[in-house]
Amino acid sequence: MYSKTNLSRIAAGALAAASLLASTAAFAGEVTVWCWDPNFNVAIMKEAAARYSAKHPETTFNIVDFAKADVEQKLQTALSSGTTDALPDIVLIEDYGAQKYLQSFPGAFAELSSKVDFSGFAPYKVQLMTMDGAVYGMPFDSGVTGLYYRKDYLEQAGFKPEDMQDLTWDRFIEIGKQVEAKTGKKMLGLDVNDAGFIRILMQSAGGWYFDKDGNLSIQKNAALKAALETEQKILQANIHKPAAGWTEWVATFTSGDVATVTTGVWITGTVKAQADQSGKWGVAPIPKLNVEGASHASNLGGSSWYVTASSAEKDEAIDFLNEVYAKDVDFYQKILTERGAVGSLMAARNGPAYSEADPFFGGEKVWQNFSDWLAKVPAVNYGVFTNEVDTAVTAHLPSLGQGAPIDDVLKAVDSQAQGQIQ
Amino acid sequence: MNVSRRATTVLQYAFLGTAAFLSIFPFIWMAISSTNKSIDIISGRTGIGDAFGTNVANFFSQVDVPLVFWNSTKLAVLATLLTIVVSSLAGYGFEMFRSKARDRIYALVLLTLMVPFAALMIPLFMMMARSGLINTHIAIMLPTIASAFIIFYFRQSTKAFQTELRDAAKVDGLKEWQIFLYIYVPVMRSTYAAAFVIVFMTNWNNYLWPLIVLQSNETKTITLVVSSLASAYYPDYGVVMIGTILATLPTLLVFFVMQRQFVQGMLGSVK
Repeated sequence: MYSKTNLSRIAAGALAAASLLASTAAFAGEVTVWCWDPNFNVAIMKEAAARYSAKHPETTFNIVDFAKADVEQKLQTALSSGTTDALPDIVLIEDYGAQKYLQSFPGAFAELSSKVDFSGFAPYKVQLMTMDGAVYGMPFDSGVTGLYYRKDYLEQAGFKPEDMQDLTWDRFIEIGKQVEAKTGKKMLGLDVNDAGFIRILMQSAGGWYFDKDGNLSIQKNAALKAALETEQKILQANIHKPAAGWTEWVATFTSGDVATVTTGVWITGTVKAQADQSGKWGVAPIPKLNVEGASHASNLGGSSWYVTASSAEKDEAIDFLNEVYAKDVDFYQKILTERGAVGSLMAARNGPAYSEADPFFGGEKVWQNFSDWLAKVPAVNYGVFTNEVDTAVTAHLPSLGQGAPIDDVLKAVDSQAQGQIQ
Repeated sequence: MNVSRRATTVLQYAFLGTAAFLSIFPFIWMAISSTNKSIDIISGRTGIGDAFGTNVANFFSQVDVPLVFWNSTKLAVLATLLTIVVSSLAGYGFEMFRSKARDRIYALVLLTLMVPFAALMIPLFMMMARSGLINTHIAIMLPTIASAFIIFYFRQSTKAFQTELRDAAKVDGLKEWQIFLYIYVPVMRSTYAAAFVIVFMTNWNNYLWPLIVLQSNETKTITLVVSSLASAYYPDYGVVMIGTILATLPTLLVFFVMQRQFVQGMLGSVK
């Protein structure tokens, strides 16, 4: 390890010397990447690395996979202790946590604004990694949301695909009641111990737990209030099938027990895994809240790549991300087809995979639609404490079903969140 | 009288049976799950399936099994031997050598038991990084070798060691290290065995510290590999189950081999 430290110093020195000699210096280092899902971001990063190495054979990659919580733990420890030797060159960070790392460890991540053209990416993805006007990451997978619905159930209840466009949540609930009356199926699966649904609704109206300046915003948050009201209406109308935990929630729609699913685009693979339901599904934009700034586009989850500022291979790592993730449209076709990954580069929609009509969805061009919505996802400030506030919200969701007044719920969430943050 | 005694027996067996079931059930379910496909495991299938071969094949294709096991075994065995040598010497010393400072030092050692590892992690990490030991197995072993708990355990057990044995050996002209090696160690056999089981399990299952220190695929241990398999967005639980079974087997093996000595050691008997 001693020798590796020295080596990387020598490499850094050599790089600096080389760049003095020629402006187009050839790189010759190993780029280390940390990420977490062997079948998803690890596999995608390997594909990206292979593409870059094909053009730049002198660059090698060391892609290390840890569990997501493990990556966060390692990153936190190395950054807190100021031990930059132990950091990778590129690390994957979940979008909800991005500001936490950027603001808690200023200077730890390389600023990319001057090296990458961010105008080609979905604006909300760029916004979440921006601090003081500078952009610090490379946008990766998006969780742009859609309303997946069973055409067959809705048709039985008397609704056509046209009726599913441009909905409000109130209309959605009305349709839900009729679907249950005519087909006996529930409208959606809902886990009252998970705030994901609230986050989708809140962001669709441009709101978050924090205001634009990153201050906690709960009691006067119109978007959050409308989201909670909507969940309460759904619970009271009893058009939902309750689910305890992720696997039960997934089972509500894979088993055909519910008529719709509102979630991130990454669920597509799971929906399509039920081959016998082919042709029965459609995807519409999600319904709208009845507040100012409401839209039909939102996001759930997603993550992005960050280059560590102390990395000896920093320039090489940035060049790599820029060349593949910011420019290579063909790469985005491949990861969509093979891994079901929807990236954040808008130009990707012009490729063949994005243009295809999907027979599973009755020939709809779903990827073009998702790409349209991707551009419209409202940008919000995820702040430093999204996970902490989310815990506070989750704790009070069950009281919605018991008819608790929304203002009381907001008050309780606020006080718990204040406690968690301090 | 007879009836109440019988009732007591029934109650005892019912209690023990429940406890045994609760301890063994996760293992049984793990074994059953390893024969099922991921999707059947999620839906809670309790029957034996036919996917065992596929799961094993997938596990072996996704994980460099020999390397991972070599890393884990090397770490666990070396760290255990070193811990036992160092900590048993310390336990012996604390009990045998009388001095005024002894109990104060001993209290300090015990005090370290109360500091949670999370609080030590960052300073330790900085020490290892400054010494250039990040991503080495040595960095994982070093902080575990002087184990306050094992020192405590050896000192308590040494109280049962008859000092007459030591005095007699001294009269016979044995040096202190000879007394330790030829008399103390054989007499304390079962204490050593119990300590071995405890320390081996701790080291084999060690997770947080290796996770912080290790940086590359080549140095990872089995616990890290299983954790990484289980945290995918759509984990293949069949493969995860094979991983947990393989990760559990060595500790089970060590325990069963040393079970008799372990129980004796825990009872603190000296023969």
